[in-house]
Amino acid sequence: MEDELYLDNIDEFVTDQNRVVTYKWLSYTLGVHVNQAKQMLYDYVERKRKESSGAQLHVTYLVAGNLVQNGYICHKVAVVREDKLEAMKSKLATIASVHVYSIQKALLKDSGPLYNTDYDIIKTNLQNCSKFSAIHCAAAVPRTLAEVSQAHTSAQIDSQTPNDLQVASMPVTNGHVPSTAKQASQQPKGIMGMFAAKSSSKSQDTRKETKPESKETTGVSTASSKPPAKGNTMSNFFGKAAMNKLKASSESEQAKEEREVTKPSVPAAEPKLPPTTTVEKPGKKTEPVKIQKKDRKSRAKRVDLSDNEEEKEAENLKKKRRRIKQPQSDSSDNEADGPASSISQEDRAPTPSPEPPPKAGLEPASTEVKASTGGKKRKRRRVLKSKTSVDDEGCMVTEKVYESESCTDSEEEFTKAKPAALHRQSTAPVKKDPKEDRRGPKKGAATASKANKQVSIMGFFQKK
Amino acid sequence: MLPRHFRLGGLLPGQSGPAEHCGPSQEPAPALAMFSEQAAPTAQGLLAPPSAEPSTFARAPVSTYTDCTEPFRLGQRSFSRQYAHIYATRLIQMRPMLEERAQHKWGSGITMRKLCELQAGEKCCVVGTLFKSMQLQPSILREISEEHNLLPQPPCTKYIHQSDELILEDELQRIKLEGTIDVQKLVTGTILAIYGSEKDNGKFLVEDHCFADLPRQLPMRGPSTNHFVLLVSGLGLGSGSGESLLSMQLLVDVVTGQLGAEGEQSSAAQITRVILAGNLLSQSTQNRDTINKAKYLTKKTQAASVEAVKMLDEILLQLCTSVPVDVMPGEFDPTNYTLPQQPLHRCMLPLASTYSTLQLVTNPYQAEIDGVRFLGTSGQNISDIFKYSSMDDYLEILEWTLCVGHISPTAPDTLGCYPFYKSDPFIFTDCPHVYFCGNAPLFSSKLLKGRDGQQVLLVTVPDFSATQTACLINLCDLSCQPVSFSGFSADEDEGDMEIGH
Repeated sequence: MEDELYLDNIDEFVTDQNRVVTYKWLSYTLGVHVNQAKQMLYDYVERKRKESSGAQLHVTYLVAGNLVQNGYICHKVAVVREDKLEAMKSKLATIASVHVYSIQKALLKDSGPLYNTDYDIIKTNLQNCSKFSAIHCAAAVPRTLAEVSQAHTSAQIDSQTPNDLQVASMPVTNGHVPSTAKQASQQPKGIMGMFAAKSSSKSQDTRKETKPESKETTGVSTASSKPPAKGNTMSNFFGKAAMNKLKASSESEQAKEEREVTKPSVPAAEPKLPPTTTVEKPGKKTEPVKIQKKDRKSRAKRVDLSDNEEEKEAENLKKKRRRIKQPQSDSSDNEADGPASSISQEDRAPTPSPEPPPKAGLEPASTEVKASTGGKKRKRRRVLKSKTSVDDEGCMVTEKVYESESCTDSEEEFTKAKPAALHRQSTAPVKKDPKEDRRGPKKGAATASKANKQVSIMGFFQKK
Repeated sequence: MLPRHFRLGGLLPGQSGPAEHCGPSQEPAPALAMFSEQAAPTAQGLLAPPSAEPSTFARAPVSTYTDCTEPFRLGQRSFSRQYAHIYATRLIQMRPMLEERAQHKWGSGITMRKLCELQAGEKCCVVGTLFKSMQLQPSILREISEEHNLLPQPPCTKYIHQSDELILEDELQRIKLEGTIDVQKLVTGTILAIYGSEKDNGKFLVEDHCFADLPRQLPMRGPSTNHFVLLVSGLGLGSGSGESLLSMQLLVDVVTGQLGAEGEQSSAAQITRVILAGNLLSQSTQNRDTINKAKYLTKKTQAASVEAVKMLDEILLQLCTSVPVDVMPGEFDPTNYTLPQQPLHRCMLPLASTYSTLQLVTNPYQAEIDGVRFLGTSGQNISDIFKYSSMDDYLEILEWTLCVGHISPTAPDTLGCYPFYKSDPFIFTDCPHVYFCGNAPLFSSKLLKGRDGQQVLLVTVPDFSATQTACLINLCDLSCQPVSFSGFSADEDEGDMEIGH
């Protein structure tokens, strides 16, 4: 009957595959309780030796018991070879347990292979390492996502102002969440860890976003492989310009038409986020997807931006990104465009390129974006750097990414470049376009700077 | 300890025989028996063909657990203050205790004086902070001083010297001490009361001295059945040497109930908690090459601690699925250097931190487990006192810190410490029931009985990577037993059986 099967199995493992069969390895491989595995091993050894006394079997045993050592009664647990078994047992004053530890064909010189076998099998069964154990602990349950996010948010609350709570509890109307850099600092987990470096105090997220975000983070982090990949893609995705703009937009007070509408969809959309890595790519087919994407992006950029208007930000972000999807100012406007633009975006190389004609709706956004960037002036600057990476489709993507560095003079120049591009994208500052054309990059940057920062010496140059 | 040989003839391979043991003469193990005695009756039960239903034991639940590490958790940290404030607040907090002790010891009629009020020749009692000026104490100023052109002092095990002097300081003044006081034994930062008089040469002649002694103790409401707590320290992961790896695996297997016969597993189910007291990572992960070497050499190398923390995460995962674990950081762990060390961050342990049984706690650690108050450190305080005092035995030093009333008197002088100013959290406010320190060279334990009826179990937890030994404490009767693990290696072939693992 099936009981005998294990004998054949063990036989195969030991003689044919020449493995070191420890009780733990057998327990996981055959899916049996550890004690049963130990008994199986014993049974096998016994029968084999009865059959053919010339059996090439070496057995190690586990012996445990009391031993007087250094004046204390020590409980000793030792793995010994068969030939030393009796000696060890005689050393122990009380024997607490004896059982077979492992069977192997070759004589082991030391217990290294035993450890390796156990280590390997545990490694492949990490998630249920206590499944076949003899002790079951009722308290050892993995935390649910809700609990973890609770822990996250409570940690956040400790380090943040109470404002967060208030903001979070009510529907965010302006997204101008006064969360501080600390919010960024709380997120060094999982995918959000990517942005830890960029978390220069600018992230402002509503509590709602935070919560789903943390939940998502938790969910994401538990899916171990995904977050890092996603984080990478995401950080690459958000080019420096995009980040800058996001920051800007986050600080600006923007009416969020769709914000509340989309908000309910956000939590629902959350679970879809981890799998939808493609969301990051320019491909907002639908509004919910867009929202998700924005959420994700916003979340990722938490540090950098406060989400006044997810949609607008995302769209600005996208616009800034160049390789991103086409600017989609309003979901209502762009739903139709979505599929088309997303396709084209995907094909597009991730280099800065002129954006499609800006839409009117984005006008306030862009201005505000610039304004907010100016307002966000801090000691740490974003420096434009080129980063090469492989995105989801296996294409090499070179993006200009903003990386935080301490304040340098070069910041002005970089913001010039990006804002120049941004200007091209944005609708509203049509007036800026001519300005830009007229002045050239420096002035364009000046304009951008002017728009972004509230006070700038470059303002002098605008009146040309 | 009665030697009881369980010679079960019929259970070794090659002989067929009944599965169960024979042992006729076992009296039933007493209720408070330690691990082995409980397990003994079914010791060889697994040397048998598979039985139908293997038994599973439920982990004994922790009835009460209170985390008392609040004083050691630092929220916002500001390092803009000087360290003098700690000493000031330490003295202020401990002065009343010492005055009471002094009056108790030398009579209530003695005069308590501050140093500024001292009169020559008058016998009085002074309470103050001790400062030991040591010639060999490493001084950063001397190191960088160009006048002396000295090479940095090589690290020694002990920095005491014949010429060391004791100085007592209080709020305003300081005075040199001489007389019946053990200069070598005492360390800087101790608050004590001295009885004697000031001599003409300006020094204080000490006739007697006393410390704060053990604080009062709340009664212990321990469990009624055997509940064990396992203390381990110095796992030393990432050391690159595999000697203690199998022992560590055996430890995890015993605690999680995989190893051992049924009796042992049922005993292991009574382990309600595991406390890892520091030095989870080995000292070799502290490689500072990245700082010293050129960037191009170290650019692609990963810090050794990354691998070690991954290993730690896996081990903790195995433990957390089966038993509540408290993880204290130690000297070589990735957390802050100054005492009190803050808990390790959960983001480093993604697998294990999903379980609520994992608790990341501070060093020093204080908690009430099943009605028994635990207090312990990862050993930095004791090893620092070891360096600057003539005391050699870790257990002796542990007891001494309890008698002095302060967990770590040498902080901040020679041991890094956060600049507290409001209160010194290392002062004993009440007496713990179990007081331990990790990373000691050897296991030792002692039941200390205090003057006012306090009972404290002092335990020095040995460094696991060196000794492969952990400590098992029975909360029921405050007894302690070392548990050691071993594999086998080629060296054991020759040589005596008598020689240990």
